[in-house]
Amino acid sequence: MEKPLKIQNLTKNYGDFSAVKDVSFDLEDGEIFGLLGPNGAGKTTLISCIVTLEKMTKGSVSVLGSDIYKDAKNAKTKLGYVPQEVINHGYFTVEEILGFYSGYFGILQNKERIKYLLEKLALYEHKDKKVKQLSGGMKRRLMIAKALVHSPKVLLLDEPTAGVDIELRNSLWEFVLELKKLGTTVLLTTHYLEEAESLCDRIGVIHKGELKKIGKTSDLISELTFRTLEVETSKKVELKKTDYLKKQIGNKITLEFPSTLKVGEVISSIGLDLSCVTDLQLKEGSLEDAFLKILDQGRV
Amino acid sequence: MFDFSKQNISSHPFIMLFWKEIRRYLKVMVQTVVTPAINSALYLLIFGVSLGNSIDTGFDTPYLAFLISGLIMMSCLNNAFQNTSSSIISGKFSGDLEDLKVVPLSSQQIIWAMCLGGVTRGVMVSLVTMLVGQIFYHVTFGEFLEIHSWPALMFFLFFGALSYAKLGMFVAFLAKTFDQMSAVTAFILQPLAFLGGVFFSLNNLSPFWQKVALFNPVLYLISGVRYSILGQSDVSLTSSVIVTSVSLVLFHFLIAFTLSRSQFKRW
Repeated sequence: MEKPLKIQNLTKNYGDFSAVKDVSFDLEDGEIFGLLGPNGAGKTTLISCIVTLEKMTKGSVSVLGSDIYKDAKNAKTKLGYVPQEVINHGYFTVEEILGFYSGYFGILQNKERIKYLLEKLALYEHKDKKVKQLSGGMKRRLMIAKALVHSPKVLLLDEPTAGVDIELRNSLWEFVLELKKLGTTVLLTTHYLEEAESLCDRIGVIHKGELKKIGKTSDLISELTFRTLEVETSKKVELKKTDYLKKQIGNKITLEFPSTLKVGEVISSIGLDLSCVTDLQLKEGSLEDAFLKILDQGRV
Repeated sequence: MFDFSKQNISSHPFIMLFWKEIRRYLKVMVQTVVTPAINSALYLLIFGVSLGNSIDTGFDTPYLAFLISGLIMMSCLNNAFQNTSSSIISGKFSGDLEDLKVVPLSSQQIIWAMCLGGVTRGVMVSLVTMLVGQIFYHVTFGEFLEIHSWPALMFFLFFGALSYAKLGMFVAFLAKTFDQMSAVTAFILQPLAFLGGVFFSLNNLSPFWQKVALFNPVLYLISGVRYSILGQSDVSLTSSVIVTSVSLVLFHFLIAFTLSRSQFKRW
């Protein structure tokens, strides 16, 4: 089966500067893939190359088997793209814009789908307004509605929640999860790592144009982060000195160990008698920790 | 022939962009159609009715008829040019030019849809100008100005507008700022139009300036329309047809080449 999105050796140079360096990865059918990276890492350039807004220096992109250049019409019909910056559209109303956009994707009669999207994204009562009359959040939602008028198989969201309040962010992510349930494959970029952790099946971390790490979100966290266990005992106890024992102050013990290890193994390894334990607190490693570690490794 | 109810990525994107270009200028009718009509009326009033009696073009027709034919083509070319150029410039500014790159529209479809949108505006404004001119002519002479050849008129209006629509796209894609766009209009296109024989005939110029004027391509486009309406013009019909055709091909290749290398990114 063809991959929803296949990126091979994509490179984008601006003169001597390489914004994206030989990046290759695929999206799996129906997944949400998070492309993370600090500002200027090359995320937007990579997405711009995928949608042909930027011409790649080298490499290829295909959407469900259709090459983005050689079979552009078919490839683009399967893609939905939400840019980072809001587009104004001058004289036209929300409903007109969605009508035009449907037509660009070959659908001249699309009233039902437009109505569904307007209702779903809470824009129906604003359908006769021009873009400049909309609030920031509404403009963002309009960008998403535009990208979905043709029910694309693959949706690219370039920081769709930048500058958006938490309530709207949550509703947008809920909508993205709904799209996933309907079979849409999503590639998104965001700086909200907690949200990416709960939302994305897989993560790719890009830094200085290079894809540094890619994998399942849970695997990356397990591989790259530590779990912290804070134990309170009824009295001061003697413990075996291991790498996991970070500190012991009075009857408070702090243990730090790789996410791949189980709590029981660690407790056994330091010889802690469970009958002395009065309280336990386990803190899991987060995507943010994993992300920072990847960036740190890149600096070495 | 067309089934509009089904998705069709071959022709429907083109139809929609063409329709959007028309809707865009119809949304601001006062600016795009009414204002040019008022401008033409003022030119006719000042030059045609007021000063016209003292101008001898060497043609067999009244100066008002001479002026009407020039104004028709000037308004056609200006509006076709402005439609495509303003669409692209505003698209660069607002960002909606990017949309055209990420949707299934080929470069040729973008060129033809936008240019045909420009042609509809150019032809519409020229017909409004003709209507205003006919009113002035009727008020002045008690009869309407007879059109010598409608097919020739339609030929020159359509292909003249198409050439200028392509030129407008070309200039707008190259422009990096509003200033650059205005400079091309103010320093190149307007002088060419005004010196292209809208208001005067080659017969009114000295031999030296007559030769210089022959290098102005707009003279041939205007003369083509003038011949179509009056049955006579400063240059031959054949040369008008050749210059119109060459302009069309040249501007098409220029915009096609530019589009293949241009960024659709916003300013």
